[in-house]
Amino acid sequence: MNFIVIVSVAVVLFALRFAKLNALGWAVAWWVGVYICFRYGVVPPVPASIMSMYMFIVTLVLVAYVSAAHDRMKEVTDSLIAFFVNPKYKIALGLSLLLLPVLVAFQVYTGMTSQPQPPISGRTVHPPPPGNISFQGKQIDLLTVHNPYRDLADSDPQAFSAHVNAGRSIYYQNCVYCHGDNMEGDGMFAHGFDPIPANFQDPTTIAMLQESYLFWRIAKGAPGLPSESTPWFSAMPAWETFLSEEEIWDVILFLYDYTGQLPRASEEVH
Amino acid sequence: MLTLLLLAAGTASVSAQNIDLGSDAQRDAGKQMYELKCAHCHGADGAGDAAMSELLRPAPRNFTSSTFKFRTTGSGELPSDDDIKDSIRKGMPYTGMPPWPSLSEDEVTNLMYYIKTFSDDFAGVFGEVTPLEMPDPPSMSEESIIRGREVYIENSCADCHGEKGRGDGPSAPTLEDTWNYPIRAADLTKRWAFRGGSSRSDIFRTFTTGLDGSPMPSFDIQPPEDQWNLVDYVYSLSRDEADYGTMVVATTIAEPIDVNNAASVFDGIDPVLFAVVGQVIEPGRAFFPGVNGVEVRSVVSPSTISIMLQWNDMSAETTGIAGPGLGAPDRTADEDTSITYADAIAVQFPSGVSAGTGKPYFLFGDRKASADLWFADLSATQATHYTGKGSGDIQLDETRIEMSSSYSDGQWTVIMQRDREISGHAAFTEGTFVPISFSVWDGFNRERGNRRGITMWYSLYIDVAVKESPVVPMISYGFATLLLGLITTFLVRRKFGDKESA
Repeated sequence: MNFIVIVSVAVVLFALRFAKLNALGWAVAWWVGVYICFRYGVVPPVPASIMSMYMFIVTLVLVAYVSAAHDRMKEVTDSLIAFFVNPKYKIALGLSLLLLPVLVAFQVYTGMTSQPQPPISGRTVHPPPPGNISFQGKQIDLLTVHNPYRDLADSDPQAFSAHVNAGRSIYYQNCVYCHGDNMEGDGMFAHGFDPIPANFQDPTTIAMLQESYLFWRIAKGAPGLPSESTPWFSAMPAWETFLSEEEIWDVILFLYDYTGQLPRASEEVH
Repeated sequence: MLTLLLLAAGTASVSAQNIDLGSDAQRDAGKQMYELKCAHCHGADGAGDAAMSELLRPAPRNFTSSTFKFRTTGSGELPSDDDIKDSIRKGMPYTGMPPWPSLSEDEVTNLMYYIKTFSDDFAGVFGEVTPLEMPDPPSMSEESIIRGREVYIENSCADCHGEKGRGDGPSAPTLEDTWNYPIRAADLTKRWAFRGGSSRSDIFRTFTTGLDGSPMPSFDIQPPEDQWNLVDYVYSLSRDEADYGTMVVATTIAEPIDVNNAASVFDGIDPVLFAVVGQVIEPGRAFFPGVNGVEVRSVVSPSTISIMLQWNDMSAETTGIAGPGLGAPDRTADEDTSITYADAIAVQFPSGVSAGTGKPYFLFGDRKASADLWFADLSATQATHYTGKGSGDIQLDETRIEMSSSYSDGQWTVIMQRDREISGHAAFTEGTFVPISFSVWDGFNRERGNRRGITMWYSLYIDVAVKESPVVPMISYGFATLLLGLITTFLVRRKFGDKESA
């Protein structure tokens, strides 16, 4: 997010309230304002195809807003008609009639000569997990399974911290290269991957997931993703080949311990 | 002797007053943070010998040795407090030491005080250090770069860093640090990966103070103007940022190229640099790959597709065995070092004709979707073609790949060419995006099979041979718009013209 752009647009729109614009002026100002916000206010930049989709929706909304009240509609049509008919706009009309074709020609030119952009495939960030998985020959029900060592935090803190420390070793030997020392998804190899590795410090990742979900994602990795998540964009390995069940639960404990996050509580199943 | 001792003791008691070791509370807080964030690589006792030390090159710093690479102080001296804090904050790019922007000023200060407890030297006579004066950089000029090149030669920088600065000097393959770990001379053409920072002031500091513990000595270059001339020369060898790409365009040419004589074809094409990282997913993992990027160009003729690959490699390994499906060497203490491994590179495409959907797994394909591998073993003169259905199932096939390779001044150049249409293999239809990825093996780093540098899938765009001229569409669309505008004006005026003027 580029907040400077967004705030400036908001300030200009606010200032325009004092300029006594008519409804047409307002609609145009909003359209331009929203365009600037999407085009320059979002980092990384919004792809052109998505941009035109957004602006189409914005246009629809503005048309709906204008046509919702009779007064507003009349104000807009009157000003449009005046622009075409009133002699005082003669020069502006003439210029628009000439400039518009030039703009269209320019658009055609850039469209035909610009570097093609590689296709973008949408993907689901947190795809729904399967009901159960087969893990090293054993069936695990993801709806009911919970981290068997989680309860040790209260009942046997010493054993709990032994599990966390085991998880720490596993993390550094396996995960740190991509997910990073601070678990922000910026490890030393992270720049070689897109999507970038998950950032566990981000409150929208492990904090809003149950531990069983993490178990599934770690055990099955990218190869286990459903097709809507375009598996081969993710480089996440299927750790079931390397880690035991206990090791995966340990590293999950460590992820939450290190980041200070808590797993989402499991809902009661009736 | 006695006087010397007394003198030393005297200095110690005087300077001890100027040494800041922090308070107990600060060191305790630092210890807690250290154990949480640092101990896993640097060791609980600061000796840099934790489990991770075997998996990282350069190896984690041993704080008990009083030897620090990045200092504003003289060679062999301890770093200043700010030097230690800077190293924590900024980290060392392309190593296991990340920057720590998330730590507060107090947290970094506490860590610094705790790190100073690992060596008694900080509390003793050597603990008081005076940072060298670091002058502001003068402006850079064409002349300073030219003179800098002479300074570079006069001071034998090329012995390690190479004639063109690619870290490939004659001594480079022999370099070890103080602890006998192999260490590489910096590749001066990749400033973004300089461990000690990439600004002109950083470069100035690096050769003025040297990198203690590494073979990089400190240089006292005279006259002082020549110090900045050298900085400017080194600075001029590299662009500012890596600018890693995600797509390479295969430019249209009329005829297939002669792979042995193709330099002029590729000269006018800008290369795209792709990031190469270690293959740490499948067994035989490469935690510190020798290659960190590959530059790619491509051309396409009506009947062939050609790829040119260039990457920096400290030493060309042209003997030994290579192959994508061969086992990775055991990295154990009693590893047989008489076995040599050849450098190699592979370009990978999906075998499936319908590119774009259902890419194969980026590590040599999978059971459902296979991957084509154009494999250049640089101990051979001929490239081979493999079809991969996962790293455990890679089959040699007969698909013909023409190949030429050359090595000069620390850089490999490999050109491969294949017919565009081969049934059952990747097709290169004009106007399409073909997924492309790369694997690089550095023989010197004993890489083979799964131990290699990899990239994820990127895109190869096959340029359209005959491009439509935009002039006619521009005129017709522009004219249509003008017509539409005039008609609208005419209709609106006819309907409302009288009403408005009335």
